[in-house]
Amino acid sequence: MLLEIKDINVFYGKIHALKNVSLQVAKGEIVTIVGANGAGKSTLMWTLAGVLKARDGSIIYKDRPLPSFAHDVAASGIILVPERRRLYANLTVRENLIMGAFLRNDINEVKKDLEFIYGLFPILKERSNQYAGTLSGGEQQMAAIARGLMSRPEILLLDEPSLGLSPLYTSEVFKTIRQIRDKGTTILLAEQNAHKALEMANRAYVLETGRIVLSGTGRELLANPAVQEAYLGVRHKVI
Amino acid sequence: MFLQTLITGLSIGGIYALMAVGYSLVFSILNFSNFAHGTIIMLGAYIGYFLISSFKLGFPFSFIGAIVGAALLALINVRLAYSPLINRKAPPLYLMITAMGVSIFLENMVYVTVGSHFYSFPEIFKQSTIKFFGSDISPLDLFALIFSFIAIFALHLFLTRTKMGTAIRAASYDMTVASLNGVNMNKLIGIVFILAGAFGGLAGVFLGVKYMVYPTMGWITNKAYIAAVIGGLGSLPGAVIGGVILGVLETFVSVYVSSVIRDVFSFSLVILFLVILPAGLLGKYLEEKV
Repeated sequence: MLLEIKDINVFYGKIHALKNVSLQVAKGEIVTIVGANGAGKSTLMWTLAGVLKARDGSIIYKDRPLPSFAHDVAASGIILVPERRRLYANLTVRENLIMGAFLRNDINEVKKDLEFIYGLFPILKERSNQYAGTLSGGEQQMAAIARGLMSRPEILLLDEPSLGLSPLYTSEVFKTIRQIRDKGTTILLAEQNAHKALEMANRAYVLETGRIVLSGTGRELLANPAVQEAYLGVRHKVI
Repeated sequence: MFLQTLITGLSIGGIYALMAVGYSLVFSILNFSNFAHGTIIMLGAYIGYFLISSFKLGFPFSFIGAIVGAALLALINVRLAYSPLINRKAPPLYLMITAMGVSIFLENMVYVTVGSHFYSFPEIFKQSTIKFFGSDISPLDLFALIFSFIAIFALHLFLTRTKMGTAIRAASYDMTVASLNGVNMNKLIGIVFILAGAFGGLAGVFLGVKYMVYPTMGWITNKAYIAAVIGGLGSLPGAVIGGVILGVLETFVSVYVSSVIRDVFSFSLVILFLVILPAGLLGKYLEEKV
């Protein structure tokens, strides 16, 4: 396993946000976590990025404990694209992308990656000298994913990439995620948009009020009546 | 007379800008007004003074010594006094109060060790004035003016052209995300204080040469603070513009009206700004689309 999380508990002050959460991510997979608002998806993501700390349990990445500082976690290859994009609004799109490559010193490779990104998202090339705060929501999401990719991550953590996007942009984002996986990057995806996220997942977990309540392959969970009722809007009971 | 006043004003403005840049750099990252900055400026002036008059190092080396010394003091200041609070994620108000404490402590340390004497720098420029389009201009003013702007321009290049500079601007917007990009915040904060301290040392020497060196000279940073507020706290171009505006206006008021009301004028100006334009001329309120 590339990333192995065992029985972690995370607290916000007195609030017990993650309760004995265990999950695994293997190399080259898309692993999806579905859950409602407040289920703990973002908490899990921030914990894996090294910003929040688990009180107990273990997070083993590449056979070693996860580094304790966020910048060391980033250096080890785990990159979080946070919820609500969080671009640097005071920097241009290009500078935002360059910040993604902050830890890299291979200038020529960074330039190549920048060209690759501009190929993947032509709109970002058009807007490269614009302040990131002026982009539309969908463009910002593209830029946020692009910034994550500029770090050449081993595992890309995507926290609700479809949040606030139109259906068209959502499809676009999910298409991109698949492309990224096909290029060899492992992906851990937290989503409320359960249908699309489960469809492309190799494996998936359902998080409810801080606990993992279900797990399986993406298809299994799509077919699960409880998941269908809670997340896919399918009704089984006749009212 | 007009040209002379303008150059004097610009040179004072340049010194205000140097000090305001130090405030703004720290404010942009940590969101608190570092009231210990004035004390660092004062210590920089003392270092410069003792290097030139007791150690006879000559002006260039004393000048560099003051800059390096002030930068190191600023680094020690953040590591001993602020870092423990930052690591516990203390609110900015606590940092500000700590900064006041540091300032009082250091100022009194100077009283106890060096004493309350007023020192004046030895003559640096042989000529007291030079002729420039028929006006008498002090070479020190000219030197301070040119050097301040060179230093500020160099800082601008650092912030816009280098990776670390970009990271500082990025962190001023979102520190947490910067750490997700692999920026070591502790190191970055250290660099920011070294920069602020170096600019403080520079300003300290200019102030010392222009006026005197004494324990409470750091309080002139009130003016730099006003400059930073006028320009917009946290904005570097704002700090520079605010400093220059304040320096020039003050000088014109003291020459053409009366030097007695100079400070009344400055403080009235800041009150006016706080009422009408609280974010300053270039305050950092960038709108972000949601």
